[in-house]
Amino acid sequence: MKRIREEEIFPRNPNKTYGLMELVKGSSTRVDRGPDDMVSSWPHLLIREAALFAACFAVILALSVFKPAPLELEANPQKPPNPAKAPWYFLGLQELVAYDAFWGGLGIPGLVVIGLMAIPYLDRHHSGIGRWFAPSRRMACALWTGYVVIVVVLIIIGQYFRGPNWAWYTPWNMPPEVQ
Amino acid sequence: MSVKELRPSGPPPSSGGSRPSADGPLTKLNKAIYRQAPEVFDNLRPRALFHNIYKSVYRTTAFPKTERERSEAFFNSFLLHIQPAKIEKHALRFTYTFGLGLLSTYLFLLLTISGLLLMFVYVPSVQDAYGRMQDLHSSVSFGYILRGMHFWSANAMIAVVFFHMCRVFYTGAYKAPREFNWVIGVILMVLTLILGFTGYLLPWDQLAFWAITVGAGIAGKANWISDNINALPHPPGAPTVPPLGDLTRWALLGSDTVGQEALIRFYVLHVAILPVIITLFIVYHMWRIRKDGGISSPKESPE
Ligand code: HEM
Repeated sequence: MKRIREEEIFPRNPNKTYGLMELVKGSSTRVDRGPDDMVSSWPHLLIREAALFAACFAVILALSVFKPAPLELEANPQKPPNPAKAPWYFLGLQELVAYDAFWGGLGIPGLVVIGLMAIPYLDRHHSGIGRWFAPSRRMACALWTGYVVIVVVLIIIGQYFRGPNWAWYTPWNMPPEVQ
Repeated sequence: MSVKELRPSGPPPSSGGSRPSADGPLTKLNKAIYRQAPEVFDNLRPRALFHNIYKSVYRTTAFPKTERERSEAFFNSFLLHIQPAKIEKHALRFTYTFGLGLLSTYLFLLLTISGLLLMFVYVPSVQDAYGRMQDLHSSVSFGYILRGMHFWSANAMIAVVFFHMCRVFYTGAYKAPREFNWVIGVILMVLTLILGFTGYLLPWDQLAFWAITVGAGIAGKANWISDNINALPHPPGAPTVPPLGDLTRWALLGSDTVGQEALIRFYVLHVAILPVIITLFIVYHMWRIRKDGGISSPKESPE
């Protein structure tokens, strides 16, 4: 911003609580990089959103063309596969069910959902917002990573290490009829 | 005051005698319109017509140049107005959100569109469902691509929503004032999983049938709760709690085993009830982002 004139061309009126302070060249202070670091959503946000959609669509389309969705034989209530596996995102649950039906299938998952909802009411520290892995939140991040590892490991066990009768198998010894 | 006539007055030139008007009815109409409302013809010029239609639909220029026009491009657009016209630079950094929330929305959109198209082919009956799936892979044009898009978007959405939840946790974005939006998020995660589960039965293949048999068996384990309550010491003749697990399983399957009743229940849940519920929650989630002051920023907790 450039000051146009230095001298006081609008003398103060002592009867008024307001007055014209100065004239400046240029548009408002918020243009492009104002003091609060804001930019216009058009086009900065819009172009990123459009690009993300294009990428998302392209990846899904490519997968659909080159890796068609699986379709097994028609459902046959007389012929249970051994083992009957849940969809991958429920394999962790199925693994827990193998240890205890109620606690694995309903008790623990219910407590996990309630626990997740409780997080923001238990962790009231107003620190580390807006940063990945803020050092002040090392403990919280470690606990969460523990949770993620458990979820992922249970799913991997269910997918690759469980064979007939939900017994332990290694992926290379898995009977071929297990999907 | 008299108006001066510009045309030469007086009798018409007598070169060929007075010519009777040779105008057809269309020309007459044309001239009448021109006399009454000459601007109509200007309004029909393609440039003007296009401009006026565009302006009536969308009041902002298509390529805004000034700051004001750029803000208006968001304010005045039905689709864009849910987003802020100005945004903090930090919120735009790809490595902050990895676009995961938006990606969940996009995948849900793709699921809705491909799902609606699949409904033109699919029949929720134990006799026909599997055959219709085979049709998608053989006789329906691009049917396998349509099914593939629904399949891959569904699996991707579950993973992406989970990653989004991890992003929100690791960046501390669930802290005040966004606590409740995190709770809404957990509900969205659960709804996404249930949508996946109900859709899993619909192809009516071996995978579908037995996965749902296993799943419904798990729901039956809620008997544990009622059994334990009933085992507590109680006065003789007191009413007992009904078997909660059996009730849930029956509500889900409409029968003891997975069959036609289960298929129609899962179908209605999957194509109507759950999509409407999750849409409402997604809309609320987005509204709260604005009301909570936009995307979280490091400015909120200076270290
Ligand atoms: C269907 C599922 C979901 C959709 C469509 C969705 C959509 C979004 C979108 C578009 C954003 C904007 C920021 C971004 O892109 O990261 C966002 C932010 C947010 N989401 Fe989600 N979300 C979903 C699930 C969840 C889940 C499972 C959680 C947590 C349990 C969650 C909690 C939040 C929170 C707290 C914010 C604010 C983050 C911030 O201010 O930095 N959402 N969500």
